Amino acid sequence: MAAEAPRPRVAALALAVGLVLADSSIVVLALPEIYRELDTSIAGVTWVLISFNLVMALAAVPAALLARRVGPGRAAAVGLAVFAGASLACGVATELSTLILARCIQALGGAVAVTAALELLPATVGSERRAATVWASAGATGAALGPAVGGILTELVSWQSIFLIQVPVALAAAVPILAVARHEAATKVLEPELRRTGRPHLAANLALAMVSAAIAAALFLLVLLLIEGWRMTPIGAAIVVTVMPLAALLGSRLDNHVPSARARAAAGAILVSGGLAGLGLLPKATVLLTLPPQILIGLGLALVLSALTETALSGRSPQAIHGGWTISARHAGVVIGLLALTPIFTADIAEQRQDAIDAGTAVILDSKANPLLKISLAQKVEERLDGEEGKVPTIDPAFEPLPEDPGERDEVVQLRDELQDQLDRAATHAFSPSFLLGALLGLLALLPIGLARRVDL
Amino acid sequence: MNESRSALRGQLLVGGAIVAALALAISYLAAGGASYTPAKTQDPCQDRPWSNPQGLGEIANQFTTSALDGAACKLGVSREVLARALTTPEARERFAERYGIDDEKLARAIRAGLLRAVDDAEDAGALSPLLAGPVRSTVERIPLEQAIELIQDGRSLLGNVQGFLGPAEELLEEFLP
Repeated sequence: MAAEAPRPRVAALALAVGLVLADSSIVVLALPEIYRELDTSIAGVTWVLISFNLVMALAAVPAALLARRVGPGRAAAVGLAVFAGASLACGVATELSTLILARCIQALGGAVAVTAALELLPATVGSERRAATVWASAGATGAALGPAVGGILTELVSWQSIFLIQVPVALAAAVPILAVARHEAATKVLEPELRRTGRPHLAANLALAMVSAAIAAALFLLVLLLIEGWRMTPIGAAIVVTVMPLAALLGSRLDNHVPSARARAAAGAILVSGGLAGLGLLPKATVLLTLPPQILIGLGLALVLSALTETALSGRSPQAIHGGWTISARHAGVVIGLLALTPIFTADIAEQRQDAIDAGTAVILDSKANPLLKISLAQKVEERLDGEEGKVPTIDPAFEPLPEDPGERDEVVQLRDELQDQLDRAATHAFSPSFLLGALLGLLALLPIGLARRVDL
Repeated sequence: MNESRSALRGQLLVGGAIVAALALAISYLAAGGASYTPAKTQDPCQDRPWSNPQGLGEIANQFTTSALDGAACKLGVSREVLARALTTPEARERFAERYGIDDEKLARAIRAGLLRAVDDAEDAGALSPLLAGPVRSTVERIPLEQAIELIQDGRSLLGNVQGFLGPAEELLEEFLP
C-alpha cells in the first residue's frame, strides 16, 4: 500500500496530524472574542480549550487500539470525517455549551486520526524512525502555528472561521487516505494487542505532561495578557506570538547536533522555565520585552518535545499505541496546566484590578486639576468599572471628550496616561504568579528527565 | 572520541540553557520586574503634608484631599474608595450597602473630615485663624448633601465663608497666602 502514491499520502497524513494538533492551541487567540461574544467568564471560555485537550488525553490510547482493530486507513478516514463534522458544528455554535460539546467530538475524531496516522506512516515512509520524525514534526508545527493562524482568522474574518476553514482541509486530507481504507477492506486487519504492547515510557511521558502544562501556560496566558491585559488586537497578538514557533523552528535544527535526548530534554525544559520566569518578571508592559522570553520558550519547546517524544517511541511497538500515550501525556499536561493556573490568574486579576483602580483614583485625586474636574473623572472611571465588571477596563472612554482648553486638555491627557499605566501594571502583575508557577512546572519536568538516567532517556 | 564529543555537546547545550535562563530572569529582575505593580495607596489616617499651596484653587485642592482623608479614616475605608462613592447617589448607595454605612454615619464622617481639613489648612498657614473659626462652625452644622458638595470642592466651602463674612473675594484672597 505504500508504493501506490506515497508523497500525497505522506503529505495528507502530516496535514491531518498538524491540523488536529493545531486545534489544541488554535483557539487561544480567539478566546477573548468568544469570551465577549458568548458572554461568558474567563473560567468558562477556558473550557473551549480544556475540553478538546481533555478528550484528546483520554481518547488517544483507546483510539490507537481502535485504529489497529478496524484498520488505520479506515480509522484515519472516519476520524477525519468526524473531525470535519464537529468543526462545522463548532463554527455554527451560538452557545458555549454547544461549542464545548462540538469540541469534545472534534477531539474524539482527531485522536483517532492522529494515532491512525502514526500507524500508517511507517509503511508509507519506509521506517518507524522516519515515521516518528514526520509525525512529531507535523504535530509540533501544527501546535506552534495554531495560535498565529487562529489569531489572523479571528481578526480578518471571525472566530467561527477558525473552525469552518478546517472542514475542507480535513476532508482534503482524508481523500488520499481513502485508498488505504479501500485496500484494508480487502485484507485482514490486526487485532488489538494491548497485552502484547510494552509499557509506556513512564518518565518520558510524565516529563511530557509537565512540560506541556508549562507550555500551555505560556501560550494561553501570554495571549490573554496581550489581548485582555494590554488591549492588543488578535492579529497584533498573533504576530507577537509568532516569535515562539519561529524560535521553535530554529530549535529543531539543534536536534541533529546534539545526539543525547536527555541533554536536549533537560536544556529544553530549562529554557521553557527561563522564558516563563521572564514573562513572570516583566519590568514594563511592552511587547518588545515579551520577545526574549518567547525565544527561550520556542527554542525550549522544540528541544524538549522532540527529545521526549523520540524517547517515548524509541524501540517500542506498536508505534500507534505509544504515540497515543505521548498524545495523552501532552494533552493531559495542557489540561492540568489550564485547570491549575486559570483560577489563580482570574483571582489575581480581580485583586489587581481593584488595586489599579485605587491607584488610578489616587493619581486623579493628587493631581492639580480642579476638584470638580477630578470628581467628574472619578465618576466616569466608576461608570467604566461598572460596565466591565470583573475585567480590566478600557479607560480611554472615561476621558472622552477631552476638554477644549489646551491647559486642561494636557492635564487630562497626563491623568489618563498615568491611570492607564496603573492598569497596565495591574494587568501585567496579575499574570506574574501564573507564569512563575508555569516556570516551576517546567523545572519539575527535570525530575523525571533526571530520574530516567538509568533507563534510556 | 565521538561519544565524548556528543557528551560535551550535551553538556554545553544544558549549560547554555542555564546561562540563558538565568541571564533573562536576572536582567528582568534588575530592571524592576519584581516591583512593576500598581502604586500602593496611602493610609488615610496618616498625615498627608500640604505642599505650600498658592491661591484659592490649590488650597481648595489640598483641602479636598485632607477632608477625604479625614472622612475615610473615620469610616475605615481608603480615600480612593470614598471619593468614588461620593460621585453619584447610585455609587453612594452601593458603597453604603457594601460597607454597612448609613447616611448619618457618613455625614458624621464627612464633617470630621472637613474639620481635619480646616485644621490642616490652618497648620499649613493656608487659612488664617480668623477664617478657620467660622469655617468650623459652618462645617459642624451642615447637612449630608451639602457636606458632600463641600468635600468635593473646597472652593465652595471657602466661597460660603466668604458669603458668611460679607467682604469681597479680594479680601478673602488677602487672608490666603
